[in-house]
Amino acid sequence: MQSHGVEILLVEDNANDAELTLRALKQRNLANQVFVCHDGAEALDFFSSGASPVPKVVLLDLKLPKVDGLEVLRRLKGDARTKAIPIVVLTSSREEPDIERAYELGANSYIVKPVDFEAFSRAVSDLGLYWLLVNRPPH
Amino acid sequence: MMRSIQRTFPLFVTALLLAVAIVQLTVGYGEVRRASRSVGDTRLRFVDSVLVDLFRSGPQRARITALAKDSAVVAFLRSGGQRGRAQALDALRRNTLDTASNVRLELRDFSGRLLLSTGRFALGDSVLVSPGTDSARFGPLQRRDTVLFFGIAAATGGTEQAAGNGTELSGGIVQQVARLQLNDRTRRQLTGLSGGDMAFLFGNAAGDPWTDFGSILSAPPANVRNSPRPTRYERGETKRAIAMAVPGTPWMVATELPSRLIVAPAQGYLLNMAPLAALIVIFGALAAWWGSRRLTAPLVGVTRGAEAIASGDLTHRVPAGRDDELGRLARSFNTMADQVSRSHHHLETQVAQRTKALEGTNAELESFSYSVSHDLRAPLRAIHGFSRILLEDHNAKLDPEAQRLLGVIDQNTRRMGQLIDDLLAFSRLGRTDLSTGPVDMKELAQTVADEIQRTDNGRQGSLEIRIDPLPPARGDRGLLRQVMANLLQNAAKFTRDRPSARIEVGSRADSGQTVYFVKDNGAGFDARYADKLFGVFQRLHSTEQFDGTGVGLAIVKRIVQRHGGRVWAEGAVNQGATFFFTLPGEEP
Repeated sequence: MQSHGVEILLVEDNANDAELTLRALKQRNLANQVFVCHDGAEALDFFSSGASPVPKVVLLDLKLPKVDGLEVLRRLKGDARTKAIPIVVLTSSREEPDIERAYELGANSYIVKPVDFEAFSRAVSDLGLYWLLVNRPPH
Repeated sequence: MMRSIQRTFPLFVTALLLAVAIVQLTVGYGEVRRASRSVGDTRLRFVDSVLVDLFRSGPQRARITALAKDSAVVAFLRSGGQRGRAQALDALRRNTLDTASNVRLELRDFSGRLLLSTGRFALGDSVLVSPGTDSARFGPLQRRDTVLFFGIAAATGGTEQAAGNGTELSGGIVQQVARLQLNDRTRRQLTGLSGGDMAFLFGNAAGDPWTDFGSILSAPPANVRNSPRPTRYERGETKRAIAMAVPGTPWMVATELPSRLIVAPAQGYLLNMAPLAALIVIFGALAAWWGSRRLTAPLVGVTRGAEAIASGDLTHRVPAGRDDELGRLARSFNTMADQVSRSHHHLETQVAQRTKALEGTNAELESFSYSVSHDLRAPLRAIHGFSRILLEDHNAKLDPEAQRLLGVIDQNTRRMGQLIDDLLAFSRLGRTDLSTGPVDMKELAQTVADEIQRTDNGRQGSLEIRIDPLPPARGDRGLLRQVMANLLQNAAKFTRDRPSARIEVGSRADSGQTVYFVKDNGAGFDARYADKLFGVFQRLHSTEQFDGTGVGLAIVKRIVQRHGGRVWAEGAVNQGATFFFTLPGEEP
C-alpha cells in the first residue's frame, strides 16, 4: 500500500476543495504525507486493509458519496483500533444538527470551510500545524 | 342555588294539593255546620210548636168560660155571695181538675173581693187577671217568692157594662190560679224528651219571670224574644234559641241548644277528614317527587352528556331506552353526539394529514437549505480560491486590467458567500423553535452596545450609545439578542459618517404593550419607502454607500413577528431613523 507514512487522511469528494486544501497544506510544508479518499467507502477501506498505518489526523467532509461523513465518523469512533485517531470534520455545512451530531459521535473538532480563500487557507494550514505539530497523540 | 324542575315541580304539586285540601276542608266544615245547624233549628221549631200547643190549653179556657156561665155560679155571684153558696161550691168542685193541689178556683166580685174558693194554696188578692167577657183570658206568668203561677179569668156575662156605669153590681169573676211545679225532676223529664241536650224555657213575652221548669230564670234577651229566627245568646254558654209566642196568651216558649252541640258534627268532620287530607297531600307530594325524578332523570342524563361532550369526552352517550319524548330527546342527542364525534374525528384526521404534509414540506426545506448551505458554497469557494491562486501564482503574466477583473470576481464571490450565509440564517429562523423565558432587555442592549463600541472601526467622529431603563420582555433570548444586534449595528453603520453619532435605545408603554425603539441621528431614509425596509434583500442605499446584504431588517421583522409583536420605522433622509418593535410583557 502507498499508505506508509501517512500523516493526514483527507476524505473529500470535491476535487477543487481537495486541491485547495492540499495547496494550503503545501504552503506550510505539511502536504508530503497526505492521502486523499474520494468517498466514505474508500475511507473505511483505508482502515480495514490489514496493516493500516495510523494517520495523525483525519480531515473528514460530511457530504460524501456512498457512505456519508457522519457514518464514517460513527464507524471509526466505534472501532477500538481507530477511535483514538483525531478526526476533524471539515465541511461546508454550518447547520446546527450536523455540528451536534458530529460531536456526539466523537469528532475532535468541527471546522466550517470558509468561502473566502484566504480564510480557508488559514484555517486549513492552522489545523494542519496544530494536529501534526502541536497535538501529542497517544502513540 | 340553581333552579331545578326536579325540586320545584313536587313543591308546586304539594302546594296545589295542600290548597285543594284546605279549601275542601273549609267548605266541608261549613257545609256540615250549616246542615247540623239546620237540623238543630228544625228540632227547636218542632219542640217549640209542641210546647205552644201544650200551653195554649184550649180545654182549660173552655172550662173556665163554661163555669162563668154556670147558672149556679152566676146566681151566686149576682147575689153578691149571699145566696146559693152550696150550689156554687158544688159547681166549682165539679170543675176542679184532679191535680187540684196546684190549682185553685175562685169566685170574686168585680171589685176583686173573694167570695168563694177551692184549692189549698192562697196567694192573696193581687193575682187577679183582667177577665175576659166572651171567654176566659190568660194572665201573665207571675212570681211570688219562689212560686210561679198564672191565672185564667172569665166574667159572668153582661155585667161589665153595669159595673162600668157604676150601677149596682150584678155578677162577678171566675178565676183559676195554677201554680207551676218547679223542680229539677220536672226539668230533667222535659229535657229527657228531647234527648237531653235541649232546654225548654217558658215565660212572658213581655219579660220576667221565666222558667225552665226547674228553677226561675230571667227572661232571654229581647232580641231572642222578638225574633222568630234562631238567635244566639249567652246563658252560661253560647246557646242557639228559637222563641215562639203562645197564641191567645201573654206567654212565650223558647227552646235552646248549646252552640257547641251544633258545631260538634262539623268538628267531628274536621277531625276525621283532616288526617285523610294530610295523607292525600303526603301521598301526592311523594308521587310528584317520584314523577318529577322519573321525568327529569333523562334530562339530567342528557345535560350530563352535553357537559361531558363539552369537556371533550366525545364517546359519551345517554341511555335512550324510553319510547316517549324524552327517549326521542336522548336519541337525537346521541345522533348529535355521533355527528360531533365524526366531524371531530374528521378534523383530527385532517389536522394529522396537514401536519404530516407540513412536516414533509419542512423536511424538504431542511434538506434544501442543507444543500444550499453545502453545495452552493463549494463552487463559490472554488471560484474564489482559484481566482486568488491565479492572482498569487501567475501575477506576472497578468496585465493590470486582468488583475482588476480578478478583483471584481473576488469581491463578488465574497458578497455571494455573505448572501448565502444571511439567507440561510433567515430561513433557519422560520424553523427553529422559540425557547421562551424572561429576558432582561436592558442588559441585552448593553451587551450588544458594548460589543459594537469594541468593534466599531473606521469611524470619523465619536459614537455615543445611550440605553434607557427597559422593561423586561418574554421571549427567546438568543433571537431577541439578534434583533437588538441587527438594529444597533444598522444604527452604527448608518451613523458612520456623522461627526458625533448618537444612538438611543428606549421604550414606552402603548395600550398594554411595550414599544422598544432604537433611534439614531444617521443617514435616515426616505419615508416613502419605509415599508420596503423590512423585505428580504431590500436596500435603500447602494452597496458603495453602506455595505450589507439587506437581510438584517428582514430577520428583525421575522423574529419580532414570531414573538407576536410588530415592527415599524420612522425617519427622513439625513435626519436619522427610529426603529420600533413591540414585545409581549414579561407577565403573559
